[in-house]
Amino acid sequence: MLKYFTFRFLSIIPMLFVVTIIIFIGLQLTPGDPLTYLIPPELLASANFDLASYKKAMGLDAPLYVQFFRWFSGMLQGKLGYSLVDGTSIATMLGHRLPATLELAAAALIISSVLGIVLGLISSVRQNSAADYGNTVIGIIGISIPEFFLGIIAIQIFSIKLGWLPVGGRLDYGESGFLSLLKHVAMPALVLGFSLTAALMRYTRGTMLDVLGKDYVKTARSKGLPEWKVIVKHAFRNALMPVILLLCFRLPMLIGGTVIIESVFGWPGMGGMLLNAVSAKDYPVVMIATMLTAFMVLLASFLVDLLTALLDPRVRFD
Amino acid sequence: MNSESDLILKVDNLQTQFHLSRRVVKAVNGVSFQMKRGRTLGVVGESGCGKSVTAHSIVQLLPKMGRIVDGSITYYSSNGAVELSKLKRNGSEMRAIRGKEIGMIFQDPMASLNPVFTIGHQIAENITQHEKISRAAAMERAVEMLTMLGIPQASTRIKDYPHQFSGGMKQRAMIALAMVCNPKLLIADEPTTALDVTIQAQILELMKEMQHKYGTSIILITHNMGIVADMADDIAVMYMGRIVEFGTVRQVLGSPRHPYTRALLQSVPVLGIAKGERLKTIRGSTPDPSDMPEGCEFAPRCDFATKQCKTVPADTDLGGGHRVRCWNCMGGLTT
Repeated sequence: MLKYFTFRFLSIIPMLFVVTIIIFIGLQLTPGDPLTYLIPPELLASANFDLASYKKAMGLDAPLYVQFFRWFSGMLQGKLGYSLVDGTSIATMLGHRLPATLELAAAALIISSVLGIVLGLISSVRQNSAADYGNTVIGIIGISIPEFFLGIIAIQIFSIKLGWLPVGGRLDYGESGFLSLLKHVAMPALVLGFSLTAALMRYTRGTMLDVLGKDYVKTARSKGLPEWKVIVKHAFRNALMPVILLLCFRLPMLIGGTVIIESVFGWPGMGGMLLNAVSAKDYPVVMIATMLTAFMVLLASFLVDLLTALLDPRVRFD
Repeated sequence: MNSESDLILKVDNLQTQFHLSRRVVKAVNGVSFQMKRGRTLGVVGESGCGKSVTAHSIVQLLPKMGRIVDGSITYYSSNGAVELSKLKRNGSEMRAIRGKEIGMIFQDPMASLNPVFTIGHQIAENITQHEKISRAAAMERAVEMLTMLGIPQASTRIKDYPHQFSGGMKQRAMIALAMVCNPKLLIADEPTTALDVTIQAQILELMKEMQHKYGTSIILITHNMGIVADMADDIAVMYMGRIVEFGTVRQVLGSPRHPYTRALLQSVPVLGIAKGERLKTIRGSTPDPSDMPEGCEFAPRCDFATKQCKTVPADTDLGGGHRVRCWNCMGGLTT
């Protein structure tokens, strides 16, 4: 099995290569190039302006495949390159922004998986109770309301009307420490994880109800096991598999969601960086940022395989 | 001769209902029977006649909407009589009986073992639940049990998961699981229905063996007349939530007195049946349990129904424990 997973993990590399090619071609297909963004239109229009030398200086004159392999080989050597717009090193940008995004995504992931699974369990065990109906309402709201809208409402209520939480940002100016961080991350993480919470809750409820009707749950009861053991050990252990799969599949959506949530809450992460880079045609930055996202998607699907094998004895890769 | 100490279970006027959103289904409607120690009671009847619900009522493993509304179920344990129908569904008293005093085997061995735990773990769990015993010792008992049930290399197979077992082996594992605490009563709910015919015989043989060894009483639920004839000492024939005929195998199969029992026996295919001869069927279909006919519930399908059948029939004792719920059972039934 170790062999299979080593192979499976290494296969991420060629997939990543294919993904980067697709992103590169996609970027070329969009109209305009970085120069139209960098150089004022009047200057471009003037007769004695030497566009070719500019292109040459930036390496944009070479054929596309040369540009691509130049960039790709550089990346393999750890040279992530520089922003075309302001010349900052992408590695430095990532160093500042990636931790913020990961922090937000991790907080959202933890909140939504714990909340979603626990509420879903309660709903399934107390099916058709007031708690179940309440959860259903929350679930429908969570699945149907777009997160940017939810974010704006949350800011309006909790920051402006009630003044409980800061409007945005990651830390107050000149402040540090866990508590301040927690105060800032709470609202964006809850908003970001809300739809995932709702989806997990509905899904946990559904799979649990399905599993609770299975014969082996009756077998567990026929042994005289206490009810909590029947539910947590025999039923939940079986319902957990599909729930974790859903969680892993939704992981990329969570990362993608940060792009919007970060701009709503002024969170200094990758999202804002990607938005700016796309509008500026800042190829190197877009490439690296999308590649990171693609990497996370591939990693999530790898995790799905790994967890399936660990949780389900029927799945073995030999 | 019917001294109480001989009894293991007494069910009296049991009524179990299912409360669905709009209607109430009377799945078991006044079932009474007694069971003596070490004997096998075969419960037969068509699908939906209430035989499974009766069994599940005894151990209170009914689905959520199922409820015992009346009657009593008395279980005679070594510490005296326990009124099972009054116990809380998942209370500690009921749980102390489940698995320890009363074991259960279900219809589909493929579905009744938990796919994510090893066979050994699932068997040992029953022991550790009821006895103060180390996990290793419980595992050893599980190995012994599986060996006794004819599973080769039980000490290694015990680490297998259910999907690594064949259907017959899974049912053996289920028997091991149900019998490992040496219960006084075993309820087998169609234990062989999902198995191949050759495996069926093996499983039944094993159950008989276990009964011999431990003196277990067995309630065997089935719709297979052949199995009942082979296994049971007593037979209860059920129809629409009621026992319509009860007696020893000799009484019920030898001289069936209820038209339904007769019809059931006639609808069993036998070897040597003339070519082209049609098998007898019971005309009509079972009535909707929420809309039962007046009087005898079998009357609309019965070839011998008379005017009297519009009134609810009484149990008629034919002597020797043979009782029939039919107005016309005293004679006059000729086919």
